[in-house]
Amino acid sequence: MLKYIAGRIVAMLLTIFLVMTLSFWIIRLMPMTIFENPEVSPEVQYKLEERMHLHEPMIVQYYYFLEGIIVRGDFGTSVKLRPGMDVFDIIITRIQPTMVLNFFSLLISIPLGILAGTVAALRRNTWVDHVISFAIVIFISVPSFVFASVLQYCFTFLWPVFPTLYNAQAPNVWAAFHSMILPIVALSLGPIATIARYLRGELIETLSSEYMLLARTKGLTQKEATWFHAFRNSLVPIANTIIPMITGIMGGSLVIEKLFSVPGEGGLLVDSIMAGDHFLTVALLIFYSLISLITILVVDISYGIIDPRIRIGGGK
Amino acid sequence: MIIEDRNHLPRELEEIPAEKLQKADREDYRDEAFATEPIGFYRDAFRRLRKNKVSMASLIAIAVIILLAIVVPEVSGYTYVQQNVDQKYLPPKIPGLEKLGIADGSRVMTNRKKSSISDTSRYPEGSVLEIVREYKAGKQDVVDVKVDYYKYCGVPEGEYHWFGTDYLGRDVLTRLFRGTRISLLIALLSVVTNLIIGIIYGSVAGYYGGRIDMFLTHFAEVLDGLPYIVVTILFMMLFGAGIVSIVLALTVTGWIGTARLTRAQFYRFKGREYVLAARTMGIPDRRLIFRHILPNTVGPLITRAMIAVPGAIFSESFLAYIGLGIMPPEPSIGTLLSSGQSVLLQYPYLTLFPAILISVLMIAFNMLSNGLRDAMDPNHRGEE
Repeated sequence: MLKYIAGRIVAMLLTIFLVMTLSFWIIRLMPMTIFENPEVSPEVQYKLEERMHLHEPMIVQYYYFLEGIIVRGDFGTSVKLRPGMDVFDIIITRIQPTMVLNFFSLLISIPLGILAGTVAALRRNTWVDHVISFAIVIFISVPSFVFASVLQYCFTFLWPVFPTLYNAQAPNVWAAFHSMILPIVALSLGPIATIARYLRGELIETLSSEYMLLARTKGLTQKEATWFHAFRNSLVPIANTIIPMITGIMGGSLVIEKLFSVPGEGGLLVDSIMAGDHFLTVALLIFYSLISLITILVVDISYGIIDPRIRIGGGK
Repeated sequence: MIIEDRNHLPRELEEIPAEKLQKADREDYRDEAFATEPIGFYRDAFRRLRKNKVSMASLIAIAVIILLAIVVPEVSGYTYVQQNVDQKYLPPKIPGLEKLGIADGSRVMTNRKKSSISDTSRYPEGSVLEIVREYKAGKQDVVDVKVDYYKYCGVPEGEYHWFGTDYLGRDVLTRLFRGTRISLLIALLSVVTNLIIGIIYGSVAGYYGGRIDMFLTHFAEVLDGLPYIVVTILFMMLFGAGIVSIVLALTVTGWIGTARLTRAQFYRFKGREYVLAARTMGIPDRRLIFRHILPNTVGPLITRAMIAVPGAIFSESFLAYIGLGIMPPEPSIGTLLSSGQSVLLQYPYLTLFPAILISVLMIAFNMLSNGLRDAMDPNHRGEE
């Protein structure tokens, strides 16, 4: 097991290095000016560029870039969105709205998803199941940004109960939360459906398994057997759909944050791409890679514990 | 004659004179023909799929959308780039439906001076349908007025924009289905590329095993660690916006799932007796891979490809939303949606139609792939 995890971590480090290299070269080799500011005189601009090593050969810049990150933890400074500000600090300040939003979204999605999935499985092939299953397909299929549009149109225009955009300067907690409700709902529909679909499938399978029959034979009531045997066993595989959601709460949704003007990481990435703020984009891409790699690692380890049969190798 | 002991034939059978032996009539030992028609795996699966009403409805919906995507841009009477700045933001007007009061090309204009209503240079003859509300703003008499927006903009009688026009006066119907074409094309291309790469990669890793497998799997793993968002964004930035670059961006890590699936299937089947028998007979590796083992993988692969289609359509729209979509003036469902989103509250129909289309497409593909998965499940083989 330890060897397995060590192997995974080595692969992870390789991937992170790959991300750093790829994003540096791809973004820096693009034909765009990295740094421009019409208010600054050419001499000052030249000085500033020199400080960022922009006049040296690319390979030397690449060295400075790697050295900065690995040795000093320095990701550079923003040049367009928030000129002069440390990229790392920008990311840190943006993390809070994203996490709050996604935290609430998870707080809704996990219980609701589990509830919907369980009800559908227990009432299999009745109208309740059909309604839930239909809703699951809709929520999984229809993209979140379509839901976001529908929600915005219905609840801010036709029946104006919520503000259209996220309110970052809200005077009190309630106003802030009020403006977060729509994005939270838009973020939650997909995860609810995903959890419900997996749980429904798992539960149906375990409910018809032989140990359920045994439990009933032992004298447990259907309710007890369902709760202690079927339900608990079905939750184990569900963990693998929920873990990515939990680790993903720092990343957030790019489109939803953009649509509701949430000052979070997703919106920041979109803005930095559109503005061409290269240092920021590179740092954000590394940030997103880290999140996803940690997720993969956690899921993998839990997989390894649950099912040790998944290994690499074997002869011809 | 009944032979009791097979190891010791009766004497008279062991010494039969040659002239007594004669060739048997071939008819005597030929297998009896099947009384019923043999049904192969795929025909069986297809039969089950046809029984599934939801899948068939989805299949029809997809077929209709594909047909519309092919036909509509050619016959709509407009092209997707044809601009007319005098006729921008025309509301939808559909022949037939207009008599029912929906999609009749009318729009309520608020805060208009009452005196200007009778001015035929601004409100042409017959363009004012009804006055919805009259009120005073300061000393002015102001009205909210429902106008026939087509007459108001001077659109000739009998000209229809079924889904309205956008901010440059381009016909949304034409653009929507032209965009559908492009989105579907992107989906098709990326799925096919992913399948081809994934099958070859997975086959090699799964068939040869050992060190090759180790190397290939680790390589795929490192690549797979690259998050989808990061990869697509980087590749879109590298290649610029366009169909080819979207397809490439979706391919970078998209094939890994297929490869993994193929590899697993190979591990399952390569040790089977029939494969060993074939190998013993000296059949080369390539033939073993493609003729003897790979066909077992086709079922799950078809299902997977079907699931990947809505994923690709979604990715295209997603990229459009974050500003990395197809370059204008070329439309795609995603770019239409994201440009409609910016005027959602004023002109909801610009978002409505692409939203409906993408939702129907996604639901249909998901339902169809669910149906396919069930139909191809070997556990249901032979069930009606």
